[in-house]
Amino acid sequence: MSLLALDEVTKAFGGLVAVSDLSFEVRDGEVLALIGPNGAGKSTTFNLISGLLAPDRGRITFDGRDVTRLPPPVRAHLGIGRTFQVMQPFHDMTVLENVMVGELFGHGTPKSLAAARRDAEGICRLVGLDHLMDREPAGLGVADLKRLEVARALATHPRLLLLDEVMAGLRPPEVDQAVQMLRGLRRAGITLLLIDHVIRSVRDLADRVVVLNFGRKIAEGTFAEVARDPAVVQAYLGEADA
Amino acid sequence: MTASRALSLSRPGRLAGRLGVPLLLAAALAWPFLTVRTQPYLLQLSLNILIFAVLAVSWDLLARTGQLSLAHAAFYGLGAYTSALLATRLHVPIPLAMLAGGGLAVVCAVGLGVLTLRLRGIYFAIATLAFTETLRVVAKQVRFFGAATGLVVPPLFPASLVAQYLVILAVLLATLLVSWSVNRSRWSFAFTAIRTNEAVAAVMGVDVVRFKVAAFALSAFFAGLTGAYYAHVFLFINPFEVFSLAVSVGALVAPIFGGLYTTAGPLLGAVVLRAGEEALRATIRSGYLIIYGGILAVVVLYMPRGLLGVLTGLRLRRPPAVAVTAAPPVGGEGP
Amino acid sequence: MLIFGTLRSGLYALAAVGLALSVGVIGIVNFAHGEFLMLGAYLGYWLFASYGVDPLAAIPLGAAGLFALGGALYRTAIQRVLRAPELNQMLLTFGIAIFLQNLAVILWSGDPRTAAIPYKASALTLGPFTIGLPQVVVFALAMGLTVALYAVLGRTRVGKAMRAVAQDRVGAAIVGVEVDRIYLLAFGLSVALAGTAGLMITLQLSASPYMGLLYTLKAFAIIVMAGLGNIGAVVYASLVLGLAEAFVEFYVPNGGGWSEGVFFLLILLVLLVRPRGLFQ
Repeated sequence: MSLLALDEVTKAFGGLVAVSDLSFEVRDGEVLALIGPNGAGKSTTFNLISGLLAPDRGRITFDGRDVTRLPPPVRAHLGIGRTFQVMQPFHDMTVLENVMVGELFGHGTPKSLAAARRDAEGICRLVGLDHLMDREPAGLGVADLKRLEVARALATHPRLLLLDEVMAGLRPPEVDQAVQMLRGLRRAGITLLLIDHVIRSVRDLADRVVVLNFGRKIAEGTFAEVARDPAVVQAYLGEADA
Repeated sequence: MTASRALSLSRPGRLAGRLGVPLLLAAALAWPFLTVRTQPYLLQLSLNILIFAVLAVSWDLLARTGQLSLAHAAFYGLGAYTSALLATRLHVPIPLAMLAGGGLAVVCAVGLGVLTLRLRGIYFAIATLAFTETLRVVAKQVRFFGAATGLVVPPLFPASLVAQYLVILAVLLATLLVSWSVNRSRWSFAFTAIRTNEAVAAVMGVDVVRFKVAAFALSAFFAGLTGAYYAHVFLFINPFEVFSLAVSVGALVAPIFGGLYTTAGPLLGAVVLRAGEEALRATIRSGYLIIYGGILAVVVLYMPRGLLGVLTGLRLRRPPAVAVTAAPPVGGEGP
Repeated sequence: MLIFGTLRSGLYALAAVGLALSVGVIGIVNFAHGEFLMLGAYLGYWLFASYGVDPLAAIPLGAAGLFALGGALYRTAIQRVLRAPELNQMLLTFGIAIFLQNLAVILWSGDPRTAAIPYKASALTLGPFTIGLPQVVVFALAMGLTVALYAVLGRTRVGKAMRAVAQDRVGAAIVGVEVDRIYLLAFGLSVALAGTAGLMITLQLSASPYMGLLYTLKAFAIIVMAGLGNIGAVVYASLVLGLAEAFVEFYVPNGGGWSEGVFFLLILLVLLVRPRGLFQ
């Protein structure tokens, strides 16, 4: 069952076409990875899906609804959550309060402060932040900040979670931890769409892979299929040459 | 809850707060009766201080969403002119006219808020300044609004300075109550999130548009109401005075000086600054605004948490921002 | 009307280009920009009233002095907030502006000071039009200086360094440009340009403490119309402002008062409709 579908989505900035006629779908319950060389349009795609950018052409459908023109908060209420590549915690608040924002506003129905606090504490425990709940984000290490990003997104109870380069900057043991955590999320029923350059985690996590280059989809399939695809090899090697 | 958590007081501090508030309230209520016969000048000064305090506290409300507005004078003036005109031309009873002044300010704030949604930081500030100045020019040019000579305004409780004082005190208490409740509610989470990073807040489900515009409307209501009050107590308004930059600057410097995003901070800042200004006025006839400029610069450079931060003995690990900017929009550049 | 508008735009361009430099190279919108123009105007008045020096002749001296002032201000205050959030920068320069404005009120009172320069009232006749001589001189000089600035930015090493920093400060630093020194120079230059414009104003108008904010906002209107960082388009944007004001003055009844609001309207319109500027 298709949870998210992009249909001929195009986005250009002035003369630069970031995403061109992009079509793919994410099935309910799967883990889909979006990969490609730098500048391929992956982040733009995330922005289009989460609503921070509006496409010039094309349609985005989520859970059967056309969300192409809906603003980000509404999409969050429908169940699209995301993390950000450049970690941007709310710095005037503690870690717990950061997560509470998601609990308070992430769903259509309002929650009391007390309930939000309780639920946020639960999420912090889930990702392993419970010993840091009352600290401010400044001074937290990379791995903990990543956990905070995920925790904040989880607090909005997403059905689809967009993970933007979650593995970047993590040391190998931390990458393994992260993969475990994401597997846990997947078992809990959350569909994952992730962007990542750490090929190992993509191979371990993804059911399917979509490869972008210069804003276009150049390959789609399982990791094994895509890794063999000459167009994909060319895209990555071509970049290494230049 | 969130911002004030960062300034949470120590136990003795909190106790002082709990005892202090009823005491202050009692003192504020008793004040007019004590001074009206013996020191009417002081009572008059208190009116000015209270007006300034309402402006400061209401400005801070909007600032919590990251919108540093220079349009406070615009709403102040709108309230003044609306109320004055309704009372003189249409013979609307003054209390109603005043409320209408606040109401019109709200309408304009919603409009301006929606128009300036995409503007950040200094561009927002300049756009709001442009709005204020445009209003000033219009008021100055159009005969119906009294043009440059201004309007004479019917008085509110002309016989009783005490009654006038109590009215503005009530307005201030209402403003303080709103400010305090906002800071203890989910709204403060939304405001702080929006202020820190609009894009992330939106993606987490915060209805950024609604909160930004609501903050604008709330802030403008009190500014407009106070402007109307000013008109009916000082009996004469002209474009130069009510739409003046001094009003916006004062409303901006007091919270920054006293402690942004709190309830006590803007109040403290307003009282100290206005009282100080009065003391300075004795020596320097005009140009005392220089103090505001100097204080603003000094606070930005050396005292980012304001007076309240200094008084509550904050120890800071890194220099925090006086005002925190939203991260650049994820999609692109530009104002 | 066209002539008036065009002549006036010359001065506007000079006033605005300094701010464009500050915004483009350093990235700081100097709210106090107009105050330096005001200081220049008072300097021009004082030099003339006390020593009979023609403000135009005083330009080299005045510019140098204001350059030094700008440099000092950069070192003491501006430098410290460059890494702070944008709003802090805005508040700081705003505070400086208010400070300077009121300092002028205290020192020189709120009344405007007019320098009674001998050729202030003389006029040139060009066909059917009579134009004030000072206007023409100011226009020529202002245009000349603006063009000279463009030449400096385009051809000299320092100018190119400034443009490099404006485009990409990290990249410029990597290539070996001393970014902090460039900032210092750019800020000093920006202040000096403002002061020079102020000196020129003495020829036409009076010096008043409140003129600063007015010119800051007009300069801001111009750079917003030109598009931020687009120093080249400042000249065209100044033309738009100059002509728009002249248009209102001539063709709108009671236009003199309304023309005060023109630049505000322009600011509002551009920011709300085409924030990237008209000339991108």
